[in-house]
Amino acid sequence: MSEYTLEDKLRILSDAAKYDAACTSSGVDRKGASGSLGSCQASGICHTFASDGRCISLLKILLSNECVFDCRYCANRRSNDIERASFTPDEVCTLTMEFYRRNYIEGLFLSSGVRQSPDKTTELMYEAIYKLRVVHKFRGYIHVKAIPGASQELVERMGFLADRMSINLELPTADSLKTLAPHKSRDSITKPMRLIQSGIAMNRLALNKNPAMDRAYGNDMFKNSIFKDSGMRFIDTDKKLPSARYEREDFVPAGQSTQMIIGATQETDYQIMKVSQALYTGFDLKRVFYSAYVPVNDDSVLPVIGTPPPLLREHRLYQADWLLRYYGFTTDELLSEDRPNFNILLDPKCDWALRHLEYFPVEINRADYETLLKVPGIGVKSARRIIKARRCGMLNFDDIKHMGVVLKRAVYFITCLGKTMIPLRIEENYITNCLTSNDRRDIHKLSDYNSYRQMSLFDDYSFNAPYTAEDTCKALSGQL
Amino acid sequence: MCCIYDAWASKAGHENVRLMIDGEFEYELFTEYIMSETVHEKFYKVIRAIQQKISMEAYTVVYRAAMSFEKERLDIIYRFLIDGFKYGGRALYDYRLESVRQINRIAKKAGNESHLFLGFIRFEEMKNRVLFAQIEPKCNVLTLVAPHFEERMPDENWIIYDKKRRLAAIHPAGRQYYISMLTDAEVEQIRDMYENDTYEFLWRVFFNTIGIDERKNPACQRNMLPMWYRDCMTEFAEDKKSCVV
Ligand code: SF4
Repeated sequence: MSEYTLEDKLRILSDAAKYDAACTSSGVDRKGASGSLGSCQASGICHTFASDGRCISLLKILLSNECVFDCRYCANRRSNDIERASFTPDEVCTLTMEFYRRNYIEGLFLSSGVRQSPDKTTELMYEAIYKLRVVHKFRGYIHVKAIPGASQELVERMGFLADRMSINLELPTADSLKTLAPHKSRDSITKPMRLIQSGIAMNRLALNKNPAMDRAYGNDMFKNSIFKDSGMRFIDTDKKLPSARYEREDFVPAGQSTQMIIGATQETDYQIMKVSQALYTGFDLKRVFYSAYVPVNDDSVLPVIGTPPPLLREHRLYQADWLLRYYGFTTDELLSEDRPNFNILLDPKCDWALRHLEYFPVEINRADYETLLKVPGIGVKSARRIIKARRCGMLNFDDIKHMGVVLKRAVYFITCLGKTMIPLRIEENYITNCLTSNDRRDIHKLSDYNSYRQMSLFDDYSFNAPYTAEDTCKALSGQL
Repeated sequence: MCCIYDAWASKAGHENVRLMIDGEFEYELFTEYIMSETVHEKFYKVIRAIQQKISMEAYTVVYRAAMSFEKERLDIIYRFLIDGFKYGGRALYDYRLESVRQINRIAKKAGNESHLFLGFIRFEEMKNRVLFAQIEPKCNVLTLVAPHFEERMPDENWIIYDKKRRLAAIHPAGRQYYISMLTDAEVEQIRDMYENDTYEFLWRVFFNTIGIDERKNPACQRNMLPMWYRDCMTEFAEDKKSCVV
């Protein structure tokens, strides 16, 4: 191997890591301590924003981009002739510590190509994060990838050091995976996922917590929620008592996540969302990320190089994902076999509301929290504000506007004290027209990829924080 | 805080009182009065009253509001306290009240800005491994951000300098941070300690690589990270140069 400088390695190995969507530093609170460096904040902190507008929170690098696998969608695949480099575990530690001290990052996101073998690779990754935690006493955030095919024991050992672990599902169906990633199998992905899941559950039980991950804002209490009674699922399946280590040490406290590539294969949005829902309920994942495919290889089964990544589609999937995780929706409410893809013109919540006008209008002064959340233009924060403010007296349109309700969307679906804000026809075509003319300009920009650059997904057009994948305050303040 | 006390005690009638901040002492809404003993007492009286008669959360909101850059903030706080003392803890959520809308609006500004600075502050390593950061915040965020770094980096010597207000949060390793005014000479002295730092360079290498060209979106980037924050951020500075010195 040629001699690369640290600079070369950083360039090569961050370039190789950039397609991973997850850069969140959220999900765990850990105080700092004297004698060590670092702390974690549950809301996560964005440190900067890259030229593509995505949040940078972690030092996102591969340990090595050498790879013995040949996944057809990946720039690092064995058959590509590219610069190959590897960090030593010590280099990873130094970069993390020095970047962290200068407040560039919340921590490390370490992934890797498969160098020699899954186990060899994982051992090196383990060494890096072990040194970081134990030698350098680093208390910041660590997200580490599990390599498909690595031994269970190694994966488990990493879990006691990491805050979050992830293993990418890559493609929504086992068939696509087989075609595009011949060295991976559904099994080699779901096995470690299951292992991490049960580790998390054991750890949580040992800490006297609900074995299922916490879901924000009581989504697990809603009658329809995909998380309803999620804690109960562990009761029959997991009779194992926590082993001593799970009682003493945290195991992946920020939960596990995964990522699917969008647009490299033919799956519909419905299929993708079904898979996400199954991952949330069956594997208790904290997050599923969606990554619009950017073609990097000339390959007959893949979109040609230069095909723009399907960003609007990715955006819709994130919106729907939010609806599952925070708003008590299920996939089957949003899509079906007959309507397998999201509406280009309307966000999934508006789209749903228009097909269910029988639930509307909703009276702001009476509706329960769950019902308020289903109203387009009302988000988690404004719904909570409404509930609290109502205790003091009746609310009118002016009041709720100041509470963050986006009236230009909500107005078609609500009444205050029995009155609508403007004379309305509760009729699908009429409202659709009103809503889309609001948004048409933005949508146009979104679907036209050249001018897509001009467009920010964070404009009021819909809720904030879609693909920055950062669970910051932004994510929740948005009024979907 | 003390003027709030005085205004209250004066019984002039709330309609007749309007609290203004002397431009010169803008940044010292809380601190300027602490100097004298008698006033010290008033200051705590007001704080205690807010915490007990309204709520702890209301105190947090009032504190943030006081740190905002809104000219009318003192009066907004005063108006809110009138309602707060009248209605108690629930007042904070009663958006039917104009005072509540106003105070939440300005407190949110200070809260948001200080949250962003938790991520956007950039330390530069000086000689002796001292970490120095400069910011030019709109709101007076120093006391809102310093506790975060104190907890996170207890063993580091660091300084966060608010250039606009000439105030610094100074944290000697292993001790508590304190707020102090810096003279020009002191700032110069610190800047003379700047050394060229390879990690600054490496950070720029990382930053410039990690964006995906096919998804380039400067508008979104600007939206999330407005230009005015960038002056003091390492990744937007030229090579071999401090972004603040
Ligand atoms: S395992 Fe597949 S996806 Fe991962 S680096 Fe190797 S080729 Fe790329």
